[in-house]
Amino acid sequence: MNFIKKHGQNVCFAVIVLVLALMPLLLTAGVIKSTMVIFLGKCICFAIVAIGLDLIWGYTGILSLGHGLFFALGAYGMGMYLKLQATNGNITDFMKTGGLTELPRIWQAFEPLPMALVLLVLIPALLAGIIGFFIFRNRVKGVYFSIISQALTWAAYSIFIAMSPYTNGNVGITEIDPIVGSIRGAKHIGNLYLLFYAALAIMILIYAVAYFLVKSKFGRLLIAIRDGENRTYFSGYCVSDYKNFIYVLSAIIAAIAGALFVNFNGSITPSQMTISYSITMIIWVAVGGRGTLIGAVIGAFVINLCEYNLSSGAFVDIWQYIIGAIFCITILFFKGGIVGIVTEQLPALLHRRKENS
Amino acid sequence: MDQVLSMLFNGLSSSSIILLTSLGLAITFGLMRVINMAHGEFLMIGAYTTYCVQNFFKAYLPNVFDLYYFAAIAAAFAITFAFGCVLEKLVISRLYGREIDSLLATWGISLILQQAARSIFGSQGVFVTSPSFLSGGITLGGNTYSFNRLFILLVVAFCLLLVWFIQYQSNFGRQMRAVMQNRPMAQCMGINSRRVDCITFGIGSGLAGIAGCSVALLGSIDSTIGQSYIVNSFMAVVLGGVGKLLGTVFGSGIIGFFSILFENFTSSSIAKAIVLLIVIIFLQKKPQGLFVVRSRSLDE
Amino acid sequence: MNQLWKRLAGITLAGIMTASLAGCGGGSQASAGEDGAVKVGLLHSLTGSMAISETSVRDAEVLAIEEINAAGGVNGCQISYVEEDGASNPSTFATKAEKLIEEDEVATVFGCWTSSSRKAVKSVFEDYGNLLWYPVQYEGMETSENIVYMGAAPNQQIVPAIQYLVDQGYKKFFLLGSDYVFPRTANMIINAQLKAAGCEVVGEEYADMEQTEFSAIISKIEASGCDVIVNTLNGTGNVSFFKQMAEKNYTSEDYMTMSFSIAEEEVKTIGADILKGHMVSWNYYQTTEGEKNDAFVSAYKEKFGEDRVTSDPAEAAYDAVYMWAAACEKAGSFEVEDVLAALDGMSIDAPEGTITFDADNNHIYKPVRVGEIQEDGLIYTVYETNEAVKPDPYLTTYDWAVAADLQPLE
Repeated sequence: MNFIKKHGQNVCFAVIVLVLALMPLLLTAGVIKSTMVIFLGKCICFAIVAIGLDLIWGYTGILSLGHGLFFALGAYGMGMYLKLQATNGNITDFMKTGGLTELPRIWQAFEPLPMALVLLVLIPALLAGIIGFFIFRNRVKGVYFSIISQALTWAAYSIFIAMSPYTNGNVGITEIDPIVGSIRGAKHIGNLYLLFYAALAIMILIYAVAYFLVKSKFGRLLIAIRDGENRTYFSGYCVSDYKNFIYVLSAIIAAIAGALFVNFNGSITPSQMTISYSITMIIWVAVGGRGTLIGAVIGAFVINLCEYNLSSGAFVDIWQYIIGAIFCITILFFKGGIVGIVTEQLPALLHRRKENS
Repeated sequence: MDQVLSMLFNGLSSSSIILLTSLGLAITFGLMRVINMAHGEFLMIGAYTTYCVQNFFKAYLPNVFDLYYFAAIAAAFAITFAFGCVLEKLVISRLYGREIDSLLATWGISLILQQAARSIFGSQGVFVTSPSFLSGGITLGGNTYSFNRLFILLVVAFCLLLVWFIQYQSNFGRQMRAVMQNRPMAQCMGINSRRVDCITFGIGSGLAGIAGCSVALLGSIDSTIGQSYIVNSFMAVVLGGVGKLLGTVFGSGIIGFFSILFENFTSSSIAKAIVLLIVIIFLQKKPQGLFVVRSRSLDE
Repeated sequence: MNQLWKRLAGITLAGIMTASLAGCGGGSQASAGEDGAVKVGLLHSLTGSMAISETSVRDAEVLAIEEINAAGGVNGCQISYVEEDGASNPSTFATKAEKLIEEDEVATVFGCWTSSSRKAVKSVFEDYGNLLWYPVQYEGMETSENIVYMGAAPNQQIVPAIQYLVDQGYKKFFLLGSDYVFPRTANMIINAQLKAAGCEVVGEEYADMEQTEFSAIISKIEASGCDVIVNTLNGTGNVSFFKQMAEKNYTSEDYMTMSFSIAEEEVKTIGADILKGHMVSWNYYQTTEGEKNDAFVSAYKEKFGEDRVTSDPAEAAYDAVYMWAAACEKAGSFEVEDVLAALDGMSIDAPEGTITFDADNNHIYKPVRVGEIQEDGLIYTVYETNEAVKPDPYLTTYDWAVAADLQPLE
């Protein structure tokens, strides 16, 4: 009993991981299609971003409306590395269309794998670090931070569109073969398994890191910042450094997720760094349950799976209403999201009913 | 000389449009501390109202067609005012003091409103015909000044005056400021703070409706029209200093003029990015914006 | 007690997860040809910023499917369609394409509008060996075994239109486009062509996709002293641009424009009084003469409303369904390889005239028509090629294009 109370969320996470791990078996048995596994792979990436977002929003109370940017930066880095593998380090055709004759310096760095892996984490981390350093030092907080992060994302989006010889504008980087080789079709099913389990492993790793972080003294400090920033200041903690650290960490997590995502998706476009996409990420966390890691994971899976199945055929119109309403109602009445409903509101309701009768 | 004049006029016109779209925000965000992400959708409602009023006049009152635009402004204000009041009662009133949650909840509302527009009007864009007295422009020197834009300047001036009058000259404005500054004290003085909240939010939304009516003259109307204005409007309010009308005027002016200025040297995407980055860097210097409401409280 | 609830909570959550996962696996067993029905996919943006354009294409496809069904179907099968929303996001397009092909097991897919969505799904169709029918004119420089390009390649729209302008005596060109791949590639081609023709490009500007403020760009046009504007703006940008040109009292007599993305739909949203006299280039207009077209226009209006207009992309989408059905009939099968084999050299009578499949590059032989917009909101042909033009997506048959080294690498 006590074990479940203490570790209920971890048990739940373990169940999710187990169910996911069984998916390739179901595929072999012919119960599901390979596209379902690919889609779940993308969902794993979304769950990873959601964990990162939950760290800064759910635990620290910083609402970033621009995590799509970090996600996309990671994805572009990985995408470019894979593209350069395909062209053997020569310029790609969109660069030629854009009038370049040789590979730009910035992309040259992405040719060797170790360098690419380091850079795709380092660039978002540096960017987040610089933004965070100034913004948090100046004690911009609450909605002001949200609005500024939104404007920054918009600016970055415009720059990506305008620099089309380097980034291929709206089209982005397409026709990317995953790092393990093609994953589509019956021939390549082994590659798909490899990639899927690798993604699953990374999700477990990131969950574990986040879990130990929030359970540590550091995690309690984050919650203290969320609930009473000034008091934390007066207790002698340098709040801005803590905030900056967690902001950079969540940017790195988003970038890792983006780098994984591009493997499953085969393309990356700037629409992944728009404001509306960034807010979609917030919806996952909000609906799943902010302030609990498992909530973020559940939210990412539930919302995306619903969207996958409901945004087709007759449901296309209705889906927008549903997602809008769910989001709105969650914010208004169920602050804890699905996790909150199951662990707080439902028991309270049942308890009350029992007392009445 | 002509070029400078034309640039100044373009800048003025572009600032006036930003100002018009951010006036409503200056009230809902600046005074009430509600981040209304559905503000852009109120603008869209205003634009669609203009379209409907235009069709009504075309069908039933063709001989006074030109007057439709004035009716549209009134209708747009009325309808978005009503929408704003309903939204305030249903959603916003539960979220006072929870700024971030108000941002997210209104984003949900904006998704619903956009889809509603698609369901009702179809996803194809619609357009309004400018009334005949607004079509074309007047040529002075080497430049042509369009009547549309001159008219929008007038509308902005009118709205600004109206807001100033309501806020600082009317009895309601006094109540409004009292509630926003010190709610419990205002309540003790017998002010019905819920009614004040509702009407204030309605006015803010109504201004978005008028803005929608104006931008309908400049481009097509579709379900995503609000999105293209929302970021600039928020930045204008933040840059100007939250809670200061004059600040919003300057904020819009700076963003508008700089956008036009940079666009002369580079592409519009880059110009947009540069302006936003400059504003963000400036906000690092003065996080409170240009005009600061002085306060001794620690958490605003 | 409390602990028990916590445990229940965990179990419920796990239940939700499993149920939502399992729910997605089942439910799509029907495959092509069985029980007298064949499934096809429609993949367009029904929400988001591209919904404005893609709805008309989707409508034309539905119309064609219903007509074919009413006439008895294909190979004795009725066509049923599965519709997916790409939500104006290329990644969603890729996900939904995978879903259509693998889970819904559609025989073929009609879909996409933007180049970014096409490029995002291209490798999906290639990897799964399915077939996409792409209905829109585009920038060329691409071929795929698994895509049939129903719209015009550059040499069936852009190149003849520019040649027409040069023949009309225009010397100074201003290139204006939205900031995405079609305008950029189109302008690269136009630059090379104009250079070879001895004309001058006096300005090249790209507007943001969502741009609503064109005053700075109009100032640049004024300053450039051009005599014709080549316009590749997309839908909403066009509305703002032409409205703001009209504000300054400019008509087609002050600045002639040649547009590549304005069809009858867009004329309706911008207003015919503003666009009167401007030129466009397509392969089909609502006013194109022929019995086939009369039937298409009246069927379209009957189904979707008198005030709707047909346009080139809608017509190409309509043809796509008919061409696929004809190929299936000829092959007696719905398999992609058989359909592709049957398509070789196939001709059908379409509203725009006789169109022929070119097996060299999976494009279509199409007639080219330069049109002028008139006050009634329709476009009338002012120049038309004698016969259907062979598609040449890489422009290898044009000396100036070869000299300018326009071809992509690969």
